[in-house]
Amino acid sequence: MIVLVTGGSGCGKSTWAERLIAALPEERRVYVATMRVCDGESVQRVARHRAQRAHLGFATIECEQNLAAAEIPQGSVVLLEDLVNLAANEMFSGGDVSRIVPALNHLARRCSHLVMVTNDVFSDGVCYDESTRAYLRALAEINRSAAALADCVVEVVYSIPVALKGALPCV
Amino acid sequence: MKLYIGGAYQGQLELARAENPDALILEDFHEAVRDAMRRGEEARAFAQGVVAAYPEAVIVANEVGAGVVPVEAQERAFREAVGRALCVVAQAAQQVTRVVCGIGVRIK
Repeated sequence: MIVLVTGGSGCGKSTWAERLIAALPEERRVYVATMRVCDGESVQRVARHRAQRAHLGFATIECEQNLAAAEIPQGSVVLLEDLVNLAANEMFSGGDVSRIVPALNHLARRCSHLVMVTNDVFSDGVCYDESTRAYLRALAEINRSAAALADCVVEVVYSIPVALKGALPCV
Repeated sequence: MKLYIGGAYQGQLELARAENPDALILEDFHEAVRDAMRRGEEARAFAQGVVAAYPEAVIVANEVGAGVVPVEAQERAFREAVGRALCVVAQAAQQVTRVVCGIGVRIK
């Protein structure tokens, strides 16, 4: 099963994605962490997420860029968190944002279950500078490709999962 | 407890009033979260306090988390806090309605 989880900030996307993982087979759970840890705020966020998922027995793979190169064993149950950071790292730290979608396709074929987390960052009506707009365009294209790839797309609205594509998985 | 949410000016307050004419309505809950932050209260604890004190209330809030992550740390913390607080309220509520262009969609 391939699932894309979206939603706004602080709305419980990670918690719901982890509950979904808990409902999937226990074998070879891999957490692909994309966030660059660079300040106190990100250190705190990582600590909170780590504590939250401690009971799920994940092997954590750090992957700030170049997802295709991440060594994820065949048949793993993968939680990829998240596309927003991965796209930002590729785009603003000398990577290549266009390699994300092929890497997602490759990953989807390799794992037994793939849960991808992204973020709805598109609805504040602010007109940003050209580089931010380019980032939003790139991320939106990645989200659309990920949604096309997914069997199921879920928006988490303040802890409540709303199915946007496919049936809501039982968690 | 019931929760009505939506983007700015989507008609969540009007719909909450129309559907719950006799209920206590706590509007602009996201601003109450901002005030709680200023007082140094943790968002979840604040929301739990409200849920405990007004179990029959109708809570109305703006959704504020669906934009580009703000540069200002304070604004980032605000969006995060509103999210955490509304997760608590949504879990406690028997009914959650998301309002877009005045139209309510029951999501719980």
